Amino acid sequence: MLLDPGFLIVQTLNGLQLSMLLFLLSIGLSVVFGMMNFINLAHGTLYMVGAYLALSSVRWFDSYWVALVLAPLGVALIGAVFYAVLLRHMQRQSPMRQVLVTFGLIFVGFDAVRMVWGALPHTIPIPAALDGSVTVFGEIYPTYRLFIIALGVTVLIALHFGLERTRLGAVVRAGVDDRRMVAALGIDVERAFFLVFCLGCWLAGLAGVVSAPVFSIFPGMDMSILILTLIVVVVGGPGSLKGAVVGSFVIGMVDTYGQVLAPELARVTIYALMAAVLLVRPQGLFPVSQAH
Amino acid sequence: MIGRDPLHLPVAAALVIAAGVAWYGGDFFRHEVLAEIAIYAILAMSLDLLVGYAGLVSLGHAAFFAAGAYATAACTVFFGWPVSAATVAAVGCAAALAAVAGVFVIRVSGVFFIMITLALGQMVYAYFFKASEFGKDDGMAGIPRPDLSMIGLDATDPQVFSALTLIAAFGVWALLRTVVGSPFGAMLVAIHRNESRVRALGCPVPRYKLAAFVLAGAIGGFAGSLIAQHSGFVSPDLGFWTVSGEVLIMVIIGGMGSLVGAALGAVVMVLLRHELSHRAFWEAIGLPADLASYWQFVMGLIFIAIVLLAGDGLYGRLLTTWRRLRRS
Repeated sequence: MLLDPGFLIVQTLNGLQLSMLLFLLSIGLSVVFGMMNFINLAHGTLYMVGAYLALSSVRWFDSYWVALVLAPLGVALIGAVFYAVLLRHMQRQSPMRQVLVTFGLIFVGFDAVRMVWGALPHTIPIPAALDGSVTVFGEIYPTYRLFIIALGVTVLIALHFGLERTRLGAVVRAGVDDRRMVAALGIDVERAFFLVFCLGCWLAGLAGVVSAPVFSIFPGMDMSILILTLIVVVVGGPGSLKGAVVGSFVIGMVDTYGQVLAPELARVTIYALMAAVLLVRPQGLFPVSQAH
Repeated sequence: MIGRDPLHLPVAAALVIAAGVAWYGGDFFRHEVLAEIAIYAILAMSLDLLVGYAGLVSLGHAAFFAAGAYATAACTVFFGWPVSAATVAAVGCAAALAAVAGVFVIRVSGVFFIMITLALGQMVYAYFFKASEFGKDDGMAGIPRPDLSMIGLDATDPQVFSALTLIAAFGVWALLRTVVGSPFGAMLVAIHRNESRVRALGCPVPRYKLAAFVLAGAIGGFAGSLIAQHSGFVSPDLGFWTVSGEVLIMVIIGGMGSLVGAALGAVVMVLLRHELSHRAFWEAIGLPADLASYWQFVMGLIFIAIVLLAGDGLYGRLLTTWRRLRRS
């Protein structure tokens, strides 16, 4: 089975698709962590809210493309409010307190979603333009899943140039390296952090929207994806685009192949992989040098 | 809060008396709640050894809770062992798991430690969720309670079992109190305060951290064994990371690094969970009873408020107030 080329192509594409979703989710989490040493456990909740906002947008406007624009913006707005109300005031608190506040938000988000949209699972239809399949290397594969992969690659390229070529990107890179030094140079790191945080929320919302037609939407869909995202951040090493890309790719592939080849082991393969990485490189595969 | 801690005995005594009073006049339901409080107090105190003393903030402590519970279930249901032997085996299994996992997790620190322990907990959860020999996501049922007929008691009576768990909680408190009062405990606190200095003094820091991790895991496994005997069944949910989070919140609410604080936090959390999910509670305070089905929403808000407002937890507050009163 393993050497059947058709099987390999389909599973590799499935793995790539999961990798791209994980990349959209992990990059925001990773860069925010790199800059502020802050980990947002409610990141999965933002993903879930993105999917639900897409559901509502599709119901109101009857168009997936409107949802693709509106839902991530809605999630970014929620993130901005969360930042202004809570996060801004607790930057000097210990990481544990910040983590616990976002942990509380998971419960709040879970029940809030249940209150608004109910506990039953939903799904949204695949947009007509992408609702078909194409032949890839002789294998039939759904177009929509290829769309997810393409979207992920586009975001990756855009982020790469954003980080390397723009002023904000330079501030973010410098902030990850040595935040105090950047602040001492008179640059408003706080503002850069806010923008990065909102962008991370937007990307989490985007991941929610694009995964909504593939997976079912239900309260609690945030949990499993959150754990995978955290593992990506740990394995890749927080703070770098490269770490998030490589981490997403490795975890997406290992999880996909693991589920197919050894379903009884479930996700244990992923955790074993993370343990192995941490044993060899406690700071992840691509750590950013921590000067502070 | 670590260090001089003049109130721990009075607070512990007050908790014991309160538990005694609640137990004495209690009905069936109250005994069930008391047993649950005692079990979560044991779990929270074991986590406090890690969080409050050794400075290792673990978000995967439920792994040992679940491991202890499943070990008890396996030994009693599969092998027909007596409950006492199964309990010992559960503690052993949890300690072994902690020893193996500890080698990996103590290599990292800070937020990384939080994340890797979170993944450890989820790994155990994922394992039990898929393990067909342990009933997959349905879990296992039919776990007996200890046979106390030799001393003329029946542990299936909630009154007897709750007394048993309360005594166990007290025993764990006494044990941990001895541990943190020992040179070993002092070493943990020193590592927490300034790890590089302790390392520079030539102390094998990883060995101390590992020992703390194994001890906390073993006691967590003991709590898991008790919860299995309490409810008579086990399910993967015992190892879910929300359980780890709730236990960590108990430690924070009560006040880290004080043991009695963790027990106090367990009392508050278990009672809150019971009250908030009861329609009668919401009717009694004049709010729509439907809120009972959204109790997690309210609980989440309370979590956030407590983490933001009660810096040192209930016990810390108590200590500060007491010091201020004494000074004036």
